[in-house]
Amino acid sequence: MFITILKDVALLSAIGVTLAIIMVLAQRWLSNYGDCTIDINGKREITVVGGNSLLSSLADKQIFLPSACGGRGTCAACKCKVESGGGPILPTEKPVLSAAELAAGDIRLACQVKVKSAIKIEIPSSIFNIRRFNAVVSEIIDYTYDTKGISFKLSEGEKIDFQAGQYVQLDSQPYKGVKQKVSRAYSISSKPEISDSLQLIIRYVPEGICTTWVHQCLKVGDKITLTGPYGDFLIKDTDADMIFVAGGSGKAPIKAMLEHLAVAGCTRKMTYFFGAKSTKDLYLTEEMHSFENVFPDFKYEPVLSHPDATDNWTGKTGYIMPYFKDAIRDPKNTEAYLCGSPGMISAVSKSLMEYGLAKDKIYYDSFG
Amino acid sequence: MKETSKDIRIRNRMMPGAITLNGFIGKDKRSIADIIAADENTLQTLQKTPEEIADRMQYFTDASFSTFAGNITLDDIYDVETEVTRGKLSCPYAHGGQFRKSVTKLTNTSNNVTVTWTALNIHLIKDHHFFEGKGSTYRTEPENLVKALF
Repeated sequence: MFITILKDVALLSAIGVTLAIIMVLAQRWLSNYGDCTIDINGKREITVVGGNSLLSSLADKQIFLPSACGGRGTCAACKCKVESGGGPILPTEKPVLSAAELAAGDIRLACQVKVKSAIKIEIPSSIFNIRRFNAVVSEIIDYTYDTKGISFKLSEGEKIDFQAGQYVQLDSQPYKGVKQKVSRAYSISSKPEISDSLQLIIRYVPEGICTTWVHQCLKVGDKITLTGPYGDFLIKDTDADMIFVAGGSGKAPIKAMLEHLAVAGCTRKMTYFFGAKSTKDLYLTEEMHSFENVFPDFKYEPVLSHPDATDNWTGKTGYIMPYFKDAIRDPKNTEAYLCGSPGMISAVSKSLMEYGLAKDKIYYDSFG
Repeated sequence: MKETSKDIRIRNRMMPGAITLNGFIGKDKRSIADIIAADENTLQTLQKTPEEIADRMQYFTDASFSTFAGNITLDDIYDVETEVTRGKLSCPYAHGGQFRKSVTKLTNTSNNVTVTWTALNIHLIKDHHFFEGKGSTYRTEPENLVKALF
C-alpha cells in the first residue's frame, strides 16, 4: 500500500517536472523572436532583440518617446503611429485611445506594443533629438516654502540641445518606502545657450512620488538621469508684441524664454504677468524686474490674488485679466505665452480673446 | 472577506509608492471589499449614495477649477478652492482612467466643516464606492462629506 502511494507520488512528480521542462523549452524556443527590425519614418531602420516593448526597444537604441508612467499603459504619452507589424490593439490600450484613434487603428501605445516581427512606425523627427543624460546636482535653491530651483551639471562632454520652453523628464530613484523609479516632466528654466547644464524649478506636490524625492532626498552632488528635450511650447520668430502669463512653477519656461531673448537682443514689446496668492508665493522677483533694464520695452507685473494684511503689498491685486488692457496696444499683432493651471489658462485665454487676440496666437503649456 | 487575486493586484496598486507616495489604504487592515461595504452601510444610514456624494464633489471641483485662481464661494456658504499640479494619476483599479492631479478644499461656513478631496477621490467614490482606508492621506469620512456637501 505504502509503496503504491510512493510510486504514484513519484510518477506525478516526474510528470510535473517533465511538463515544467517542456514549458521552459517552449518559452525559450517559441517566444524567441530573434532579431527584429523597426523601420522609423521610412528613413531609418534599427535592429532590436524581439520580445520587448516598442518603447523599451527604441529606448535601448537611444530613441526616447515621452513616457511618464514607466510603461504601464496609463499616461498615454508614448502614443505613436504603427503602420505595420504591431498586431491588434490590446485591451490595455483601448481606454486611453480616442474614438478617432481607435477607428484609425494605427495609433498605438509604444509601451504596450511588443516587437515580435518587422515593424514600421512613424514618429516626429524631433524625437531623434531626445537623449538620456547623466548629470550631477550642482545647486539647490529654496525659492519659496514649496518651490526649489535645482541645477544639474551634465556629465563631462555631454551637451543638451534644447529650445527655451521645452521640458525634460527627470527620473526619481527608489527612496524610503518607494521601490520604483518614476519619470516626471519639468520645464527647463535656464537658457538654451548653456548646454552643459540646466536648471529646473520644481514645486512640491503633496503625495507626489517624484517631487517628494526632489524636495526631501535630493542633495548637491547626487547623480541623476533625465531624458529630453521634449515639448513644443516655443517662442515664435515674429515681431509681434508678447504677453507672458505664469503662476507657480509655470515661471520656469518663461524664465528660459526671457533669458534666451536677452541673449538674442530682442526688441519686441513684452509684458510678463505672474499670478500668485500672496508674497510668500513670489520668487525671482528681482531677477524678473532686472529684465526691465535689459530689454527696451519690458514690464514685469506680479499680481497677488489674496495678499496677506502683513504683506504690505502695494503692487497689483486681484485677477490678472483686467490689467491686460494696458499691455495690449495692437491685439492683431500680439502673441501670448501662458504656463500654469488649466483653470488659469482657460480664464486668461478667454479674456485675451475678448481683448481681440487671435486664438491661434495664444500659446500655452498647461499643467492639466 | 477573502480577497481574490484581482483584489490583491488592486491592493498592491494602492500601497505606498505605487501610484502615490502614501497610497490609498492608510493603516486600515481590512480588505478593500470590507472597507467599501462598511462605508456603503454608513451611507445607507445617511440616506445618500456614493454617486450623489461624488456628483456633489464634482460640482464644487468644476466650479472652482474653472476660475482663474481656483477659488470660489458658492451659495454664500461654500468656500471652495482647487489647486492643480502638473501631471495625471491612474486609477488603482487599472481600467485606464487618468485623473488630473488636483486637490479641492471645501469649507461649509454654515457648520464650519472642512473636507478635502482629489480628482481621483471623486472617481473612486463614484465608480468604485471606495473612500480610501482609515488613516490614508485623502480619506474623508462619509459622515463629514455629507455634513460639508449638502
